[in-house]
Amino acid sequence: MKLKASWLAAALLAVAAIILPAFLGAYPLNVARSIMTYMALAVSWDMLLRSGQISFGIAGLFGLGSYASALAVLRAGMSPAASIVFAVLFAGLVAFGLGFAILRLRAMYFSITTLALMEIFRIIMHNLHDFSGGPEGVVLPAILFNGEAKALYWICLAGLFVTIAASVYFEKSKLHLALTAIRNDEISARTSGVNIFKYLLIAFVATSMLQGLMGAIQVQSYGFTMPDTAFDANFTLLPLAMALLGGIHSTIGPMAGAVLLGVAAEWLKLKIPYGHLVVYGLIIILVILFMPKGLYGLAKDKFKKSHDNRVKGKLS
Amino acid sequence: MLKKQSLPKVAAVAAIFVAIILWRPTVLIYGLQAAGLYASIAIPMGLVLGIVHIVNLAHGEIMMVAAYSSYMLCSWLGIDPYISLIPVAIITAIFGFIIYRLTIRQTLKAPELNQLILTFGIAISLTQLANIVFTSQTRKMSFSYVSASMDIGELSFGIYNFVFLVAAIVLAYGLKFFLHKTVAGKAALAVGQNPRGAAIVGIDVDKTYGLIFALACALVGAMGAMFITRSAVFPSVGSPFTMKSFCLIAMAGIGNIPGILGASVLLGVSENFLKAFRATRGWADIVFFVLIISVILGRSIRGKRA
Repeated sequence: MKLKASWLAAALLAVAAIILPAFLGAYPLNVARSIMTYMALAVSWDMLLRSGQISFGIAGLFGLGSYASALAVLRAGMSPAASIVFAVLFAGLVAFGLGFAILRLRAMYFSITTLALMEIFRIIMHNLHDFSGGPEGVVLPAILFNGEAKALYWICLAGLFVTIAASVYFEKSKLHLALTAIRNDEISARTSGVNIFKYLLIAFVATSMLQGLMGAIQVQSYGFTMPDTAFDANFTLLPLAMALLGGIHSTIGPMAGAVLLGVAAEWLKLKIPYGHLVVYGLIIILVILFMPKGLYGLAKDKFKKSHDNRVKGKLS
Repeated sequence: MLKKQSLPKVAAVAAIFVAIILWRPTVLIYGLQAAGLYASIAIPMGLVLGIVHIVNLAHGEIMMVAAYSSYMLCSWLGIDPYISLIPVAIITAIFGFIIYRLTIRQTLKAPELNQLILTFGIAISLTQLANIVFTSQTRKMSFSYVSASMDIGELSFGIYNFVFLVAAIVLAYGLKFFLHKTVAGKAALAVGQNPRGAAIVGIDVDKTYGLIFALACALVGAMGAMFITRSAVFPSVGSPFTMKSFCLIAMAGIGNIPGILGASVLLGVSENFLKAFRATRGWADIVFFVLIISVILGRSIRGKRA
């Protein structure tokens, strides 16, 4: 019964998200789009985190996706829709190749390498003047759907839905058991016959494709990109803070964190134009120190405790 | 001390150096100067990593705080940054100690990832606070002695930046002396090797961690004060140095402080080698990232085989 109720709630939320543009103007829709982008990145970051690997390179794959899409339109004459598909496949392929090398690494070495890879992508795009436009970046001839705000909202929402569906699949399928086993104790997972490299590669490639997808949608919606916006460190920082605040190792946690921080950031941006990101830094510190499980983890613990108490009450 | 296998390597490196000296002397000169700066900032981070076992991603930001403190002191009191060096080192030592007590100490027993994310959060907070307090405007002080130069034959080059190379050598060997010859240093080394064992023989592990963290902050603070004689200060000035420092430490091997010097020379010279040509100038930044990845991967593959 409980499961059905939660599915129903999810369906209601999805419908609400779909019909939202009917009630909103262009500016709130734009804000909603940026929150959805960050939400998808936060969820995808968490998907890899469930295996215990922490990536600092979200912006790298996001930027790679946006450049792949933009350059596919400009240099290969693809249609925008085809270029998004191409960007997803390209990000997946790059992640597949890199995965063989970097998924051997653990803990801080993995994290630092992902951060370094992001910088490498950025410097390459910065320096290939003839191909990628160099520091000035590239401008697309046309924006997707002629910049129609509602259509852009829906395509961004579609990207988010794909991400959430993938994340729920990761949670409900056998993958969940494998990834959790790797996170908890890699050696005993290996002795129990879990193919560690295979599952890490699946998670890494899948999350990279999702990040590439959001990047491609972003560039097609804004019509331009340059190295400093495509590989902006905020695309790493914000999703990380959102997922941590909401509660890691779940789908719902990063989503809740994204809504909270996304709305807060929009408000703070108006109050403190420079340096409003300090709030993100402080949230990361406070969450790590005082509630490492995040809001969702906290709520779950509370719920479990009151449930246990009730059971105990019935028994006595 | 050299192993037989490393002899060809050393010979190859020496040959490359000689070739560079003959062909483009400035590559070596500026490379060594850059290496001094990298090494002197990386060494304190190596100290923390070797003894407290924390990757402090806010390392560069502490240098940034020191650079701003030194800038403020110098512009208010009209003193030279070298005079502000000691007060700034004391300020950052206290600052670092407070950070250690309030945050890092709480996560020492938590998984490594928590520490990584925590120091990442500290780094962001410090950069953004500087952004709010000082705005993103760059600040620069100029001093006449910075433009000191030297002529050898037809070659003319700035010599001031060799100060950083001297500082790096002093830091590396000073710390080596501290760790091997003094009581506090020996205790710190023991804690770094085995905290539990050190605690059993009566060393106060927590106090040692705090001391080492504060010491590292003081050293990088002193570097921050020296840094403003050479470069402009802005909120994100420290962040590239965090990554570079980590890379150098990973190359040298954790705990090998003099090795950081060698790694810095390699990085500094190869960066300046690319900067010497117009066509490759823009690619100089990539050297470091390629180095870090190849070093980390090389180590992991060698580790697998062993």
